[in-house]
Amino acid sequence: MAEGKDAFSHFQEHSVAEFFKKNRQMLGFSGKTKSMTTIIHEAVSNSLDACEEAGILPELKVVIRELGEYHFLVHIEDNGPGIPKQYLGKALGQMLAGTKFHRYVQQRGQQGIGISGVSMYSLLTTGKHPRITSSYKNKKLSCELSLDLKTNRAELLNLVEEDNPDGKTGLTYEAEFKDVEYKRSDQGVYEYLRRTALANPHASISITEPNGESSSFPRVIESNPKRPREIQPHPLGISAHDLLDLAHAQKENRKISAFLQNSLARVSANKVSELRTLVPDVDFDKEPSDMSWEDAEKIVQSFKQVKWIAPETDSIVPIGKEQIEKSFNNIFTPEIISVTERSPKIYRGGVPFMVEAAIAYGGGIAHAGKKGDMMRFANRVPLLFDAGGCAITESIKSVEWSRYGLKNFEEEPVVVLVNFVSVHVPYTGAGKQAVSTEEDVFDEIKNAVMEAARGVQRYISGKRKAHEIEGKRKAILRYVEQLSGDLASLSDSKAKDSLRQKLLKLVEEKYAALEAEENGESNSENGKRETGNGNGNGASEDEE
Amino acid sequence: MTDKHAEKKMTDLGKKMLKEVEGGEGPTFETPLRTKSNTIYDDGIGCLRLGEKKELRKFLSVSQARTFMQTVAIAAKTKRFIKEELHTSIRGLFYQLKFSLGEDLDEELFSEQSESNALIEDLEVAMGVMREDLHLTTDRKGVVAGALKIRDKFAGDETVIDCEKQGRSGWMIPSDVDNGMEIEELEADWVLVVEKDALWQRLNEDRFWKKENCLLITPKGQASRGTRRLLRKLADKKLPVYCFMDCDAWGWYIYWTIKTGSMNLAYLGRDFAVPESRFLGVTMQDIIDYEFLQKLTIKAKEVDIKRAEEMLGYPWINRHKPWVDNLNLVLKTKKKIEQDALQGQRLTFVGEYVNEKINKKKWLP
Repeated sequence: MAEGKDAFSHFQEHSVAEFFKKNRQMLGFSGKTKSMTTIIHEAVSNSLDACEEAGILPELKVVIRELGEYHFLVHIEDNGPGIPKQYLGKALGQMLAGTKFHRYVQQRGQQGIGISGVSMYSLLTTGKHPRITSSYKNKKLSCELSLDLKTNRAELLNLVEEDNPDGKTGLTYEAEFKDVEYKRSDQGVYEYLRRTALANPHASISITEPNGESSSFPRVIESNPKRPREIQPHPLGISAHDLLDLAHAQKENRKISAFLQNSLARVSANKVSELRTLVPDVDFDKEPSDMSWEDAEKIVQSFKQVKWIAPETDSIVPIGKEQIEKSFNNIFTPEIISVTERSPKIYRGGVPFMVEAAIAYGGGIAHAGKKGDMMRFANRVPLLFDAGGCAITESIKSVEWSRYGLKNFEEEPVVVLVNFVSVHVPYTGAGKQAVSTEEDVFDEIKNAVMEAARGVQRYISGKRKAHEIEGKRKAILRYVEQLSGDLASLSDSKAKDSLRQKLLKLVEEKYAALEAEENGESNSENGKRETGNGNGNGASEDEE
Repeated sequence: MTDKHAEKKMTDLGKKMLKEVEGGEGPTFETPLRTKSNTIYDDGIGCLRLGEKKELRKFLSVSQARTFMQTVAIAAKTKRFIKEELHTSIRGLFYQLKFSLGEDLDEELFSEQSESNALIEDLEVAMGVMREDLHLTTDRKGVVAGALKIRDKFAGDETVIDCEKQGRSGWMIPSDVDNGMEIEELEADWVLVVEKDALWQRLNEDRFWKKENCLLITPKGQASRGTRRLLRKLADKKLPVYCFMDCDAWGWYIYWTIKTGSMNLAYLGRDFAVPESRFLGVTMQDIIDYEFLQKLTIKAKEVDIKRAEEMLGYPWINRHKPWVDNLNLVLKTKKKIEQDALQGQRLTFVGEYVNEKINKKKWLP
């Protein structure tokens, strides 16, 4: 018996650690740079969600220090409500536990694996415990978080409890990691935070990088976004697995038929009778907790054969047109920005979603070295990986950019931002880094991007023309140099300098007139004059 | 044209532009349009020339500024060649003008010779000068033998060339036969143009030019500017010009270029055309008339057929019925015959053939 018990506890210890190791990639811990970004992502998402839920304008501070080769210390501080003592271990150290499970609401994370996974990663790579400071109401707790791999529980070690007289709340999470790397690349932490700031203009975010350099992305919107409303899942937007989970978790209804009507949107008594005839072998009168996997599968199948009223769409909260504009101006100060404001749509017949697109061009975009950059977001969370198979990337690439004055899209100082907002983002995989290319989704993203593109089109083509004229002027000034010499010698004239002055004057007058005309053109509503911009000779010019 | 005259033309062009600048305008340059639609066949003089359509190029036009500057650069450069009494090829000119316009500008005055070549032609037609007048040489091609003496002033020397005393090689016609070159003595009565050098050598060995008192000339294929100018000058001396080419559309087109000028060089007009010239052969009728030739025909190539079709479309050619008949025969039989085939029976037959054709007046216009 004793032997058997021992073996079992070993097995348990193994199972949690093994589960984590085997699923590292799925949880975002693959590759040294990506692992680092995942750590920051999990912590930042938690902080933002916590602040917003508590109605606090988020203020996040990230500090990363290099301790050795592929060995870093990460320190993350927020001004959220903090976590009370009794939940601290559960929230930060226990896998698959949290408040986000079983909720049908637009939110950053969708699984309860995040920050606990980070704590686990710290333990597995360094053998050390994360250090926590939580200021919750009038108490300030400091402790180390010890994970027990046997029980999947966290213990608080060296706990110090103090008063929190000024009432300043917040959570500080600090942990060491190995097998991670800090890089200022497109997929690194800096870019992640910059994009997070872009999509969360109500947040103030700062970072101190391993080289000691500090940057901050200040807040530009002084109010938290509207809280998304929790809604009931629509029959066409639910999987058999989710249905089963819901059925087993709920306690209010005693029959499956009632459960369906009360837990799902748009399900009426009539619809339930319809379902009964479609799947006669499912007993709709038994307890929801008795629902089998087969029952759930059949019910979900039958959902697809019934006509449903589309779900409500007002549960979705976008970043907002004005907010995105302010945010871009704050972080990149582009020359021009165009943001679309589109209404929510439905995909798969039952899942509401909304696409926000913005195109920013020139100015700070060029200074930041961004060229044809695609910034993908899902519910304001930057997607930095798996760009290849993402509906957002595909949609942007499918746009005929030459129609919008961006012929060499990949070489232009342009950023295209797309935020996919939904209670249920159709990710391509568990890594949650790409949106799957469903037709409804793809088309809506493309339409949104094209709408935004129309907003910058006139400006860009006008600017290109002005740029071309400037280039020509520069060239023609050199021509004057050459021509005045040749013309003087051809005409046996010694007054080369005065000839040059006169030619320069003529050229300046000419180009000033051209530019004035050009400006007039781009201000007018329809700038479609193709030819004859002042050449005025009418002779064919295609001779050479 | 004398050097002085050519130089003055260039100076006048410069002065005209200078005046425009002084008057507060951008300088301009007017040149006839060298397009196909502005190429016409002039019935009166019997050759191709440019029509009346002109183009005014302005330095202040955004799209024309570069071309304008380049044109003046060529004018100034060639004027300098004239002053310095030096000659160069159009490629030499290109290299003189291939330089960067400035360190911070990724642009050269000329980057491709095709650019400068086209502008040289513009300058020729606009100013009524030939490139040879501007001290620009072209490749020499074409050889002459016969009773012609030429006085050649060149590079400080002066020599008299006797085209009867050039042995087996003949005198190579230079690119410019107008400047520093005079006909000292001309005893020959007529001119025979033979397309191929091989036939020229055959007839030269027979001393054909001596026996028939003619000038034996080969352009070695398409006639160069120098050869065409020499033929024009000889025709001006009232010498009849007879041409003897391959029996295919290519050979015939060489004849037509000598006679009426080419589409490309239509701007040169009558100075480079010999409308009086006549075509001796070889014709499709010859293949019937001279029985032995029937076995010596070869298959016409794709290019021969295409060129024949084009020639049928040219109004200055399709107005002559014998030519239409010959071209149609090429299209129908898809056959051709080289002038070399006339040696098939007897090497000396070539001379006999030419004489018979002239005596029986069996030529085409």
